Amino acid sequence: MAARAAVRDPRRRMALCAATGLLLAAVVQGRLEGSRGSNALHPLLYLPSGKYLRVMSLGFEELAADVLYLWSIQYYGNYDIKDRYGYLQHIYGQVITELDPHYLDPYLVGAMIMAVEARQPEMALRLLDKGVENNPDKWIMAFEAGFLCYNDLHDYRRAAYYFKKAIEVPGAHPLVRRLYAEMHNRAGDKRTSLREWSEIYRTSDDPYVRNVAWNHVHDLKVDVDVADLQDMVSRFRDRAGRAPRRLRDLVAGGVAGALPADPEGREYLYDPRTGDVRYRGGLVLGR
Amino acid sequence: MLVRINAIALNTFREAIRHRILYLLLIFAVAMISFAQILSLLTVGSEEKIIKDFGLASIDIFGVLTAVFIGIGLVSREIERRTVYTLLAKPLHRFEFILGKFAGLSLTLLVNTAVMAVWFFLVLLLKGMFDWRLLIAVLLLYFQFLLITAMAVLFSCLSTPILASVMTLALYAIGHLLWSLDLLAARLTAGWGKLVCRALYFVLPNLGTFDIKGEVVHGLAIDGTRVLWAAAYLALYGSATLWTACAVFERKELQ
Repeated sequence: MAARAAVRDPRRRMALCAATGLLLAAVVQGRLEGSRGSNALHPLLYLPSGKYLRVMSLGFEELAADVLYLWSIQYYGNYDIKDRYGYLQHIYGQVITELDPHYLDPYLVGAMIMAVEARQPEMALRLLDKGVENNPDKWIMAFEAGFLCYNDLHDYRRAAYYFKKAIEVPGAHPLVRRLYAEMHNRAGDKRTSLREWSEIYRTSDDPYVRNVAWNHVHDLKVDVDVADLQDMVSRFRDRAGRAPRRLRDLVAGGVAGALPADPEGREYLYDPRTGDVRYRGGLVLGR
Repeated sequence: MLVRINAIALNTFREAIRHRILYLLLIFAVAMISFAQILSLLTVGSEEKIIKDFGLASIDIFGVLTAVFIGIGLVSREIERRTVYTLLAKPLHRFEFILGKFAGLSLTLLVNTAVMAVWFFLVLLLKGMFDWRLLIAVLLLYFQFLLITAMAVLFSCLSTPILASVMTLALYAIGHLLWSLDLLAARLTAGWGKLVCRALYFVLPNLGTFDIKGEVVHGLAIDGTRVLWAAAYLALYGSATLWTACAVFERKELQ
């Protein structure tokens, strides 16, 4: 009865028609979405460069960057889209970060997607380089680039270059300095690493950091001293035509000014038969 | 004179707050500021930035729309309804009428902006994201609304409401694109083209002067004299626009 009355009332009839129209439109939209398939490229991927979008955004560049960043998170987080990494450089490097060059997350998240998901670390580094250039007061950009070089590329010299950039920014996290020191060690430059760790040991107020730094200083000093002494032994051999009988002969023979003591203040061990110099203790970090 | 301007202003304010569009825009603005919180759940990091960006953009967009849609009808509606004849038959100068209309809408916009800002700040305070510098950003946005109101009043004296709204919105767009004109001038070699670009750059309203949304949200340094310069620019450019509107209205034939 109520349904019949509703159909007879012209206003209700119109409301019913409108509701039916909306419902059918939603069904059609659903079918369209289904027919498009999950692998179809999203229209936002074809956006022009952020340089042009800046003009179009009429003072709302930050808002446009927010909206595109939010969309990119949903798009690149959708594992159903198989070939979604084709426009990564464009979306993060030329659109979002051009619209808002001081927006840090698109650099960091974009670089993470490029390096981890798309396996394109060089592209990620280019994006982070842009982030460093646009935000020279933010240490996190150079830190992320350094960490990428260290962890993914195992390019320790490059990592040291980025960590140095990060520690030059006021307010950088103390961990960056430790990583910078360690990168030199991993790159084979133990002397610079020793200098940096010694500086950390000297300047830090944190007992934990001082302890960590001391362990590195200890082992690096042993490595550097042994390498130096070994080098002196070789030079003595070249000059005298024989190996020194004991390490003090190096000073007497004019090869060394003074002999380095080990971290505990003792002399290093020397085997005149083989010419090998050794540390009498054990290394703390055992590398 | 001030008493007469004041009377027109209060009347305009009373009329404006009865306008349905004002409440509609206000509801949309409050809804958009609130919606930013839900939107921020979809992001990775930058929740604070998104809430602040959406809040400031909402105040900006809906403030401008209020200034345009109420401003364009200020004079033309009075002529259309013929109420202007009753008013001008009284000892009231035409320029006082224009200034009163402007002051009335400025008051409306002040209340409107204050409501949006209070809601925005409340959201930020609840989230522990409030920053005092946002007040400066909102103040500069209000300055921008005042300049747009002056332009809307001028176009309202010159043309029909539809055309006036198109022209005001076009000037709003131009006002935010002037930096590109400056870039163009820098690329051109010395000559007429460069001269015209430079002249237009200084003659057209530069609304970028009132936009510090990005600096505030990113915590970048803001020049201490920025607000003073913006206020001076508004006072000079706004009064020039209003006096032009007064001159146009003085010459307007009201039949």
